[in-house]
Amino acid sequence: MDPLADLGPILASTIRNTTPLAFAALGGMFSERSGVINIGLEGLMLISAFAGVVGSYASGSAWVGLLAAVGAGLAFALIHAVATITFEADQIISGAAINLLALGGTGFLMVEIFGAGGTTPRVNSFRPVAVPLLSDIPVIGPALFNQSLLVYLLYVLVPVCSLAVYRSRFGLRLRATGEVPEAVDTAGVSVPRMRYLGVGLSGVLSALGGAYLSMSLLSAFSENMTLGRGFIALAALIFGRWNPIGAFGAALLFGFAQAIVFRGTQDLIPQEFIQMFPYLLVIVALAGFGGRAIAPAAVGKPYRKE
Amino acid sequence: MTVDTRPRAETRSLGRLMLMRAVTTLQALAFPVIATILAFSIGAVVILLSGQNPLEAYRALLRGGFGSMSAWGRTLLNATPLLLTGLAVAVPFRAGLFNIGGEGQLFIGAIAAAAVALLMPGPAPLVIIAAVVAATLGGLIWGGIPGALKSLGAHEVIVTIMLNFVAINLVYYLAQNPLSGEGQIPGTDMIGPEYRLAQFGAGLGRAHWGFALALVAALAAYLLIWRTTRGFAIRAVGLGPEAARYAGIPLGANGFLAIAVGGLFAGLGGGLEVLGVYGRVSVPFVTGLGFTGIGVALLGRNHPVGVVIGALFFGGLAAGAQEMQFSAGVPLDLADVLLAIVLLFVTATKLVELILGRRARSLAAGTKLEKGLAS
Repeated sequence: MDPLADLGPILASTIRNTTPLAFAALGGMFSERSGVINIGLEGLMLISAFAGVVGSYASGSAWVGLLAAVGAGLAFALIHAVATITFEADQIISGAAINLLALGGTGFLMVEIFGAGGTTPRVNSFRPVAVPLLSDIPVIGPALFNQSLLVYLLYVLVPVCSLAVYRSRFGLRLRATGEVPEAVDTAGVSVPRMRYLGVGLSGVLSALGGAYLSMSLLSAFSENMTLGRGFIALAALIFGRWNPIGAFGAALLFGFAQAIVFRGTQDLIPQEFIQMFPYLLVIVALAGFGGRAIAPAAVGKPYRKE
Repeated sequence: MTVDTRPRAETRSLGRLMLMRAVTTLQALAFPVIATILAFSIGAVVILLSGQNPLEAYRALLRGGFGSMSAWGRTLLNATPLLLTGLAVAVPFRAGLFNIGGEGQLFIGAIAAAAVALLMPGPAPLVIIAAVVAATLGGLIWGGIPGALKSLGAHEVIVTIMLNFVAINLVYYLAQNPLSGEGQIPGTDMIGPEYRLAQFGAGLGRAHWGFALALVAALAAYLLIWRTTRGFAIRAVGLGPEAARYAGIPLGANGFLAIAVGGLFAGLGGGLEVLGVYGRVSVPFVTGLGFTGIGVALLGRNHPVGVVIGALFFGGLAAGAQEMQFSAGVPLDLADVLLAIVLLFVTATKLVELILGRRARSLAAGTKLEKGLAS
């Protein structure tokens, strides 16, 4: 195979694989920076992917679908928020419950709405749109700039999230809430409010990732279609050290690994080993080889005013 | 618990002491019972909204789970791996560690048992014993990894989540390459019928003697945690790592042991699924048992007796869901939804406080770990 001829398609495939991971990783970043661990990203993506298809199916408009997806992601994130912030439930358990609720809920609703499990009918979705001029650049143009609108939204959101976290008053408060909630409380800012915001944003952003899966990558919903992407996003978040740019970089790396699985590397490295790669990297990062990955100090702990 | 140790205590009537004991036990059940009632109430609303009759649906659920010998057979069949993945969560929990890795540990146990049953020559009873031992060893090793990495500062929750995916991919690789079978469906060959675990018979369907083995495992877990010095050390570490350290009980070795033993139980669960139920490791293999085990352990308040009850409950729920779908027209997936809602509520301290009053806070012991992830 000719490496240069393959570069364009591999790059395009990398972007397509990265997009859902990056959205969910950015979402997880807001939640964990506020002090709430969110292993429910998988479920948030799944329910949004489903709601998007239902919205688009009912209305015939992908935009209505997107709105439905964001609404569902937000609603499920709020369940996690109410359970963990207001009722002080265990954050890991609640996240696991969100995943299961989404899996069971979408299975249940598929039978109720479409009459059978498996895969839904095709719906209107976001087709690739070529960006004038930019898409004419050789090799990278068609790969990066002939994509779904949601991909362009991601390009914008990565720097925006980075600015929001590191260069805004909101970001300062959010980070402080995840590190020393007592100080935030003393400064007169409500810790629960900041955490609700963080978890809510994780729902909205994961929903964009879920909507991309069912309304760009595919144009239908099929059972458990997220296939562990929420956990790879969690891996990207940790490997990217809870930093928006870092998380996006890690998502790109994992997206690239997935892209080459489909392009004839099976003979060199078994597919299963390439799929293990993101998870192994995180274990290595957490065990401190090449600098420890350290979570926000207060993540996982409920905050109770003294 | 307030046990009066002054001499006057002996004048207390036995009846009063037994009453106190009963009240404590009842209080301990508050969290799981409230969570279950809430889940089934919400489930009833969902069934109503979908145009079915919740009473009829729940009656079918109960009948399908516990209504006949064959229903009990299905329930015991389901409960066997759940009991073990429940123990895989409960034992490390006592050391203050959260093992989300039951799924991966179960997969490793399954492939280890299949490999022995496929490759080892010799008389059948010996091969079965070797396969069971291999499954427990596989789980022990896979559970030992997060235990060992913990001392390097890697949090066990994230490590075990990640190791699940590593294990699943590793097992699928092994089942399709070195151990690949000849058949149409991907995975290993079937193991010989002489290596399968015997079934109970007596109208209990496919339920097999693995369930008895799982009960023995629960007893072993109880003895380890509550009747040995090592178990005392594990509980001490779980109740307060700092205080335990001052008393000369380090987290490192005890935490490692607890999570590795947890892995052992899940590995055994995987082995029993191969030897007792499926006869092979197919691709895909049965998934979700490790995660349901988390619910089993939490509902059973991380106590071996509670885990047995929790496993029967979730096993029955899964068996009954089939009947509910068949005779009441409610999709099977409702069982997952019910489990998810139980999970959401079972650790919700504040919610139970709202229902039972502030005094109830102390009841939360054994349902959650009050710690962060950045330790």
